[in-house]
Amino acid sequence: MRLEAHDISKSFGSSRVLDGLAISLEGGQMVCLLGRNGAGKTTLLRVLSGLLRPSAGEMRLDGEILDFADDHNRQAVGLVMHQPYLYEHLTGLENLRFYSRLYQTGLEQKELVSHLSRVGLGKSGQKPVRGYSRGMKQRLTLARALLHDPKILLLDEPYTGLDLSGSQLLNKLLLEEQEQGRLILATTHELTYAHQIAKRFDLLSRGKIAESIQNEDLPLQELEAWAARFLDSQPSKKAVPV
Amino acid sequence: MKNWLHGIRTLVWKDLVQEWRSKDMLTAMFAFAILTLFIFNYAIELSPVNRAEIAAGIIWVVIVFAGTLGLNRSFTAEQDQGCFDALVMAVPDLSVIYLAKLLTNFLVMLFLTVLVIPVYSLLYNQSLFSLPLLGVLVLGAWGYAAAGTLIAGMTVQTRMRDLLLPILLFPILMPVNMAVVKAAGGILAGAAWQDYSLWVALLGVYGIIVTVISILVFEYVIRE
Repeated sequence: MRLEAHDISKSFGSSRVLDGLAISLEGGQMVCLLGRNGAGKTTLLRVLSGLLRPSAGEMRLDGEILDFADDHNRQAVGLVMHQPYLYEHLTGLENLRFYSRLYQTGLEQKELVSHLSRVGLGKSGQKPVRGYSRGMKQRLTLARALLHDPKILLLDEPYTGLDLSGSQLLNKLLLEEQEQGRLILATTHELTYAHQIAKRFDLLSRGKIAESIQNEDLPLQELEAWAARFLDSQPSKKAVPV
Repeated sequence: MKNWLHGIRTLVWKDLVQEWRSKDMLTAMFAFAILTLFIFNYAIELSPVNRAEIAAGIIWVVIVFAGTLGLNRSFTAEQDQGCFDALVMAVPDLSVIYLAKLLTNFLVMLFLTVLVIPVYSLLYNQSLFSLPLLGVLVLGAWGYAAAGTLIAGMTVQTRMRDLLLPILLFPILMPVNMAVVKAAGGILAGAAWQDYSLWVALLGVYGIIVTVISILVFEYVIRE
């Protein structure tokens, strides 16, 4: 499986956040997207998920144009963003059941419970989400995003709110998902965790992928130095004027 | 079609369970409706001459104003937790979201009507239990929910949603308001069916037209 985006631009008013961006992602590989705050990482994820229409450019999945008007293409994406996309007055299990029904996954109660257990929430499934901690919500959000077995998994700062065991669990899950051939793109500032599982790191700057580095036995210190050197040398301007 | 109905049923179930547990909408709407009825009770003296027309007006004004509180809340659960994005990605068609919200708002309006009518009867010592009157209120509630759900979907994405909703909604509701008050007034005054049937027909046509237009434009409203 291969997702390619060509010449993607996205402007908000007079600010061009993405400016002719090109990115290529392979199934079974996790790519980490790095960049300063406001560099356009979240905007790129929203464009790749079909939630935002790009001002220009096209996306292809296995060579076919990715048209998000087609519900099969929309449902091919699992998304974890800053907001949890969870209903506070429903329990964890009810949230999963709700999304499972919307996606018509046909999952039974037992399977939904196993999804909860997979993210370490097996014992909290009957509690309303409003009583969950930030980390628990993040775990449930991940279970929600994986529920319909999406081909593409897009994660915006997935380590946010997770403690050490939560971050390790997330890495274990993402490794399993990579092994199953899922295509994963994650934005993060947590290089220590991302370094353990990502295959490639891309740097987003001035609306483009400015530089990439393969993570093949790359020492963490070298990765951090590379990212710091690049990010520190970039202007902090939020967006490029059109 | 099957996917469509399945999506609507799932969303309505979720909305009703959420509302039943939080009671955000219902509590505010019911409290507002009761307070307004009390104010009207002190402010307006009903005589046997104007009783029918004014009763219909009071009931409908109370339902419309209280309903606006509910409409304002109907999309905020999605907006607050970002769930709208998740719904957009999951449903087979965005009109599923509109129709589900329309049904939920309609059911909430009916529930409010069922609560308000006995309180009115108690306060004004006037029985409003009549099937034709209930029919008119049901048609009015559908037209109100059809227009209100579309406008609420538009305004929920703005910072001034609380202000914008009534400003945009009330002019569109003028035909419904007139038709409900005239038809309900006729029923309460004991008029013949021919005297108010045109208003009932207007309610039906309004509900159908607004629902169809809203289904067609909802995707554009949400995405743009």
